[in-house]
Formats: sequence, C-alpha cells, structure tokens
Amino acid sequence: MNRPTFRPEQARIIAEAFAAHGVDYLFIGKSGAILLGFPALTQDVDVFVARSPANGRRIVAALRASGFEVDSELEQAIIAGKDFVQIKTGPFDVDLVFAPDGIASFAGAKARALEIDGFRIANLRDIIASKRSSGREKDLLDLEYLERFREEYEKLHSPALRSAADIAAERSRPLGSQDPKS
Amino acid sequence: MSEIEDQGWQDFREQCRRQMQRPMENRIRFGFCRLYKPVLDDAPWRAFETMSEYRAWCSANLPAYLGFRPAPK
Repeated sequence: MNRPTFRPEQARIIAEAFAAHGVDYLFIGKSGAILLGFPALTQDVDVFVARSPANGRRIVAALRASGFEVDSELEQAIIAGKDFVQIKTGPFDVDLVFAPDGIASFAGAKARALEIDGFRIANLRDIIASKRSSGREKDLLDLEYLERFREEYEKLHSPALRSAADIAAERSRPLGSQDPKS
Repeated sequence: MSEIEDQGWQDFREQCRRQMQRPMENRIRFGFCRLYKPVLDDAPWRAFETMSEYRAWCSANLPAYLGFRPAPK
C-alpha cells in the first residue's frame, strides 16, 4: 500500500483541522498521554469523537482537509459512528474511537478533559481507565508506566484528576466514609 | 507504589518530570513515529460496529507479538 510521507506533527494537524471544522473530539490513548508529557512513542493518533451524524460529517471534512482520502464507504462508516474506525489513507494513521472501553460517555469525558495549547485531551485518569478496560497485553504493559506518570503529573498539576470510575466509586461509598486510596 | 521503588522506576519518574517541562512541540516531534505493523497496516481503513468486534478481529488476525490480544487472566 502506498502511503504518504510521514509527518511527526500529526497531532497538531489533527487538532487544528478538527478545531477549524468544529469537531467534538478528545485525544485519548497513548497519543493523549504523550501530549500531556508521558515519555513514550506511538505510531498513531487516537481520538475519541462524539457520535452524531453532524459530528461525523465534520470529521470527514477535517480529514479531507488534512490530506486523507475518504471514499464514500468510509464516509458512511464515520457518519454512522461505528465504534472503531481505523484510517491509514492519509499522512499518518488515525484511529477514530466512538466508544472507548472504560469511558461511559463522551459528554462526561469532555467535562473532565483538559485543553492545552489548543489540544483537547482526555483526562489522564480516563486514558488509564480505558487502557485498563481494554484488557490487551500491550495496554496492560503500559499501565505501570502510566500510573507512575499520573502520580508525577498530579504532583505538578493539582487538584488530582478524577475519572468516571473515581466519581462512580465516590457515589457508591456511604456518606462520611473515606476514600480507601487516600 | 508508596514503597521504595527500584532505581529503574525512579529514573522513569525523573524522565516523566523532564518530559513535562519540555514544550508541546517537542513532545509531538519526538513522540510520534512510523512503525510498520503487519496485517494491521495492510488495509487503507477498517471500521467495526462494536469494540468487541474489533477486539475479536485483532485476536483472530494479528500476530501475537503485537500485543493486541487479551492478556492472560
């Protein structure tokens, strides 16, 4: 398969194109963690995108503007919001994730997300929760590193982040009881 | 993780602290690479109705060494 020249500034290209087209999205996965300062390498850009036909059309327009070939079948898959769409027809690889493991809703993740230098990035705790829920070998190997990175991140950026799982656990505890992790 | 960690983890934490001080452009420039993954990279695109369908496809089609299969319980 012929592929266009690799461009390391891929995260910036996606962020700018998605912003220009009004796409509702968050960086997740290892690419999101790298943007927050996780010292690692990744091949592709993982984006959690809101599932709606209108957002799907905006994604298609943004990808085309970034140099991706989007044929009509791929366009329909994106507009339909299939859970996972993997695209390799552009200057770099993009995974569109409409329903990541371990994150209940886009709206909740967006409310907990961070915006740094024009990048919308999922909360690190949500990124970790998603990796943990996937159960894949490669994700579980990353977890020990990501948890230590989160500890260092939260020392520099207070207050500590909270994931959907943390919030659900707080709600399920009896009033007045302590967080077992604290 | 409150117990004393081995030197490798302490070094990793130092690396995290250094990386967080670096500008976003450097994180991007040195954080993304191209690495060919057999089978996975051999189609222009794929779409899966559900994440479980995607996970099943990975288990059935990708080489084990790529790490996309479920970890043993």
